Amino acid sequence: RPQMSSEAAKVVVPESVLLKRKREELWAAEKKTKAVEEKKKSSENIKVIYARAKQYAEEYDAQDKELVQLKREARMKGGFYVSPEAKLLFVVRIRGINAMHPKTKKILQLLRLRQIFNGVFLKVNKATINMLRRVEPYVAYGYPNLKSVRELIYKRGYGKLNKQRIPLTNNKVIEEGLGKHNIICIEDLVHEILTVGPHFKEANNFLWPFKLKAPLGGLKKKRNHYVEGGDAGNRENYINQLVRRMN
Amino acid sequence: MATTARPLVSVKALDGDMATDAAGVPMPHVMKAPIRPDVITFVHRLVSCNSRQPYAVSRKAGHQTSAESWGTGRAVSRIPRVGGGGTHRAGQGAFGNMCRGGRMFAPTRIWRKWHRRVNVRLRRVAVASALAATAVPAIVTARGHRIESVPEFPLVVSDSAEGIEKTAQAIKVLKQLGAYADAEKAKQSVGIRPGKGKMRNRRYINRKGPLIVYGTEGSKIVKAFRNLPGVDVANVERLNLLDLAPGGHLGRFVIWTESAFKKLDEVYGSFEASSSKKKGFVLPRPKMTNADLGRLINSDEVQSVVKPINKEVKRREARKNPLKNAAAVLKLNPYFGTARRMAVLAEAARVKARKEKINSKRTKLSEEASKIKAAGKAWYQTMISDSDYTEFDVFSKWLGVSQ
Repeated sequence: RPQMSSEAAKVVVPESVLLKRKREELWAAEKKTKAVEEKKKSSENIKVIYARAKQYAEEYDAQDKELVQLKREARMKGGFYVSPEAKLLFVVRIRGINAMHPKTKKILQLLRLRQIFNGVFLKVNKATINMLRRVEPYVAYGYPNLKSVRELIYKRGYGKLNKQRIPLTNNKVIEEGLGKHNIICIEDLVHEILTVGPHFKEANNFLWPFKLKAPLGGLKKKRNHYVEGGDAGNRENYINQLVRRMN
Repeated sequence: MATTARPLVSVKALDGDMATDAAGVPMPHVMKAPIRPDVITFVHRLVSCNSRQPYAVSRKAGHQTSAESWGTGRAVSRIPRVGGGGTHRAGQGAFGNMCRGGRMFAPTRIWRKWHRRVNVRLRRVAVASALAATAVPAIVTARGHRIESVPEFPLVVSDSAEGIEKTAQAIKVLKQLGAYADAEKAKQSVGIRPGKGKMRNRRYINRKGPLIVYGTEGSKIVKAFRNLPGVDVANVERLNLLDLAPGGHLGRFVIWTESAFKKLDEVYGSFEASSSKKKGFVLPRPKMTNADLGRLINSDEVQSVVKPINKEVKRREARKNPLKNAAAVLKLNPYFGTARRMAVLAEAARVKARKEKINSKRTKLSEEASKIKAAGKAWYQTMISDSDYTEFDVFSKWLGVSQ
């Protein structure tokens, strides 16, 4: 044994081995600095996200209070407060895929409603309203409230990354998809959707169409319009009840 | 192809040779040719066809009858039947492959293509490759030759071996060279061939022993070694792939004489110079000059541009429902905890405030009145507990009072 060690001291280490050792040290050092950097960034991020979530919570509260206040004001004066028309719709497909007119089929495809009980958020404008009118017998839609939007995105939110359906398990997924629009956390996303912000299109498209379950308690009558006692078409605020049952 | 550093192969001297101080013969270039088992299998398979004798069934077989079909209406099949009478053969089916005594389906013909042509260059490349394999003891051992006692590979013997005339002396030489074990194995392996070959003039089979390659034409060595079972002799100018790679398997044990070994360069040439005996033939070059993958991968040139090894396994993150799982929510929304806490506190405060407000609006009972009320409540409790006594069970049943 002692003989081996004295021999080992004389062994010449090949140059390639020495170079490789140096390279590996460099890589290890790089890895370490990168890890430290990432940790710092994520801890800073958390602070930002916290602040934003707080701000949004206050914003939503303020909005609710404002609505109540305006209504009271108007009532006091003997008039009425008409809240502005909704900007956001939630559309759910309630009929299957067989025996469809090709044009309505295409419109449903454009709306990303390819499967029964798929749901998407939709901006309200002339174009979308007209599209919905054409597919009315196949969908149920209405104006979602904060709870609906939030629960849908939290429970059934999946993002489209690299054409793949990735669950929104942490904010990194959202940051990767929408970071360039300053949407870095789930509350940002909820806010953007709910208030139909400037990057609603990108945010909404990032969200994979929601795959909802068949409504607990059932639908009333798929074949009829909501106003006739059925389920199709615009049910305005009652969509929220439906979402509660389908989420 | 470092021809500058060609190893020297020492020549084994036999008994009776004059002691020489020769360093040895440089390794011929053929022995460094790429070893291509795929080429050899291909060429061997085709070349083995070339010594075939045709076989076929007689041209007349099955047709030496004047059978005619009886046609329909006779409750028999329509196969041609032998005419005539007075014998078993009459009325039997004939001609068809399904008939007894009929002609076979597709009678074998002698004009079947028995032989195969192989490109000359391919043939030569195969032989060169097979020769290279004979220089690798691992391959030769793998083929099954007994070369444990052979002192050097390739085994080159001095030219005095070419003068050997007697088989007894040949055996002695083999023993000196340590090659007798292989020859003995071949001798002991003589046995009767299984199968019909034994009645077709191929009765005995045996293993292959060493192949002796000699250099000068007309050497007596041929006669000396030819009676030894399994041992083959060949002239270096006419080497046969079927001898160098019997059965298509590389690595026959070859014993070279010195003149044969020296002639190899002449016959096969080198990687640059064409051979003098085979017009325009240059040894095939290997696909990779350096086939040592380990060395290549670990070389500095490769390692310096390689990315760091990534051993982290990216696994799918388990998806937890944020509406139910607290940890999942906090991961997504760190403000959730505070929001919930504030909401709970606010709710508690609200409840308390409401209670106080109501209490303040309620008419307060005077001390006395509240005492009386409390006493009444206490009596009610005792009444209930009293009625729990089992003694009153029968009584209560009689009364029909329910507890």
